[in-house]
Amino acid sequence: MTNGFEPKILYILCSWCGTGGAETASAHGLRYPENVRTYRVNCTGSLPAVHVLRALVEGADGVAVSGCHPGDCHYESGNYHARRRLANLKTILGTLGLGDDRLWFRFVAHGEGRRFVDTAAEFSDHITQMGPNPLTARRDT
Amino acid sequence: MNGAMVAAPGGVQQAITDLLRRGLDEKVLNAVLVPARVPAGDSFAWLLVRDSSVLEETQPLPPVMSVQGARAISRYARGGVSGKVAAVLRPCEVRATVELAKLRQVELDGLLLVSMDCPGALPLKTYLDDPQQGDADFEKLLSGDETVAREVCKTCHLFSRPVSDLHFATLGADNGQASIVAGSEQGRLLLDTLRIAEKSSLDAWERAVAERQEQRKQARTQAQAAFRQDIAGPDKLLETLSQCLNCHVCRSVCPICYCRQCYFESQALLMPPDNTLARARRKGGMRLPTDTLLFHLGRMAHMSLSCVSCGACEDACPSSIPVARMFSLVGDATQKQFDYTAGRSVTEPLPTITYKEDELSDLVAPYFETYSGRETAS
Repeated sequence: MTNGFEPKILYILCSWCGTGGAETASAHGLRYPENVRTYRVNCTGSLPAVHVLRALVEGADGVAVSGCHPGDCHYESGNYHARRRLANLKTILGTLGLGDDRLWFRFVAHGEGRRFVDTAAEFSDHITQMGPNPLTARRDT
Repeated sequence: MNGAMVAAPGGVQQAITDLLRRGLDEKVLNAVLVPARVPAGDSFAWLLVRDSSVLEETQPLPPVMSVQGARAISRYARGGVSGKVAAVLRPCEVRATVELAKLRQVELDGLLLVSMDCPGALPLKTYLDDPQQGDADFEKLLSGDETVAREVCKTCHLFSRPVSDLHFATLGADNGQASIVAGSEQGRLLLDTLRIAEKSSLDAWERAVAERQEQRKQARTQAQAAFRQDIAGPDKLLETLSQCLNCHVCRSVCPICYCRQCYFESQALLMPPDNTLARARRKGGMRLPTDTLLFHLGRMAHMSLSCVSCGACEDACPSSIPVARMFSLVGDATQKQFDYTAGRSVTEPLPTITYKEDELSDLVAPYFETYSGRETAS
């Protein structure tokens, strides 16, 4: 899928499951698009909302977040809190017409290498289809 | 439901002051926190009153909201109050106080929250420009002419019955009368102590409140839909914010923004020059100071779940940006997704500190099977 646009994607992963998924993918020799930059945080529950917003305002065409499946969080409830925080962010972006579809949340477990690369590729294609994020080109943000 | 009918020949302000005076004189109350006209006569400030003779200077329902009441309380009652202190607040100020109590910035023990049916408030700027005209406008507002009120007040559907201990009901009442409604055991106890009996029916008031609430809800939905048309989308939003001075006064006056070190005032946004230069290179140019949009979006992420639509931010904005309408539009949406209403209940937990294991399934991007996209082709 191509329309001549290669999006900049930030893929935020928790250090237990999301990053583990990336490690499993590499152990199996699976590849994901090179325009997806992974970014590791300790727990998705510790990811400040402002970092996601900052990426979307200052340069990323899309931000995806992956953490442990429900019940699997290393800190018991970080993923549940992250889910609420991202729901909140998506509502803010949606209400203001800034494209809540540029933000994705999906659970990826340590062993799910295939799911990790699939998510990276699927999200990248999804953002390619959406086109560039208009905010990143604005000088008056 | 019954309330205590009291005479209010000089309006509800008189009735509130009378109750406070009795409370102080009979030593049921140690102090009262109530708005008063400043000595210069052209604005209002909060006064912590110990002596009932000072009550003559106070005005429990001022025409403007110069300082949000919850903010005044949090400066005083963060560590709890000694004895019994009554605070006279508009309903949105009560709701902000409740949110601050949940955020542990106000200790409610010992505080007696007193509220009234709120007619709305005038825009602070127009009042300060001409206080005399403002006082005349407020008379109009009290008699039901809403055109002079602030925009957020015109669409406020939570103008009555907050979770206060005592509420002064005036809607639907005959002129010169008001009813005191006890909202808690504490409030009922105070009425008992002052030998005020709750004997009169509140049916007329309840009907009048429900009716106005319904009107306002419709007005709110319409106004928000129209407002969203005006500001939604990157272009329109940045146009709306283009006059922002980065003064952050909307944050300073916000009752909910209690953090002593705000992220947006911190070193976190002070990047090395090379970083800013790189951003400027990427976009061809970079507006300084940076992060205007990020400040507003970030503040929404931080406090919109507790936003009570009080309008203090819009009153204070030197550039007259419709900040309050923006925040209440977003706040209504974010609160709705968690079935939460800021200030509705003291016991309801803040949405950010709780969760359900099974919720928000729409949010999580579904994954059904192996995605056969680009990664297999490369």
